[in-house]
Amino acid sequence: MPEKSFERSIESVAEIYRYSENIMAASGIDESVRFPVHLAIEELFVNLVRYNPGARRDILIAVEVANSRVVVTITDFDAAKFDVTKERQVNTAASLKEREPGGLGLLLIQHMVDTLEYDYRDGRSRTRFSKEPEATDV
Amino acid sequence: MFDIDYAESGEILCSGRLDAAQSARAEAFLGRLDTSHTLDFERLEYISSAGLAILLKTQKRLSGSGAAIRIINVNKHIYDIFRYSGFNTIFEIETL
Repeated sequence: MPEKSFERSIESVAEIYRYSENIMAASGIDESVRFPVHLAIEELFVNLVRYNPGARRDILIAVEVANSRVVVTITDFDAAKFDVTKERQVNTAASLKEREPGGLGLLLIQHMVDTLEYDYRDGRSRTRFSKEPEATDV
Repeated sequence: MFDIDYAESGEILCSGRLDAAQSARAEAFLGRLDTSHTLDFERLEYISSAGLAILLKTQKRLSGSGAAIRIINVNKHIYDIFRYSGFNTIFEIETL
């Protein structure tokens, strides 16, 4: 697995983008897949940085391509359990007055990826998602 | 890389990638607005929830004085994000 470690910092987002973009571009992955993959990686990584402040180890990310399908695995250590596959309660039909910033990242991921799995064992959290082109994109 | 600045027309041009690492820059710029403005997203390639939060915060603040931001030239991927987030009902949006 072509796994790479990233410093636990919001500033790592640009480096993560370059890493995943290089892999997907080299495999000829269409923008319709690259965009949601970049978004899902960023949202998951940023959540780990923001909501696991006690953790110190780097976060591991692996981006793999098989045919036109992209599979991403994100592994964190010393993490609190947080199941990213659980349904998010965000009222997207609320008025501007009722809306508050935040809470959209996981909702977007759940809309935009094809599969999303979460595994937690002894402080290690592992999230895996996949995305492939829609039939109309091929 | 993300950039935000005024065009000669008075519209606000956004370009590049508005991700979590760049959202403070967008917030510093948009936080100075106190009247209605148009944001031109023609050169904006990407936005994540961090950028959405800044847009929502700005729209809520401006609405208190009857002002609003309008967003034009939105690409398909970013429009999908707006649609999933329900932003298409709280912003005036024009797609590319």
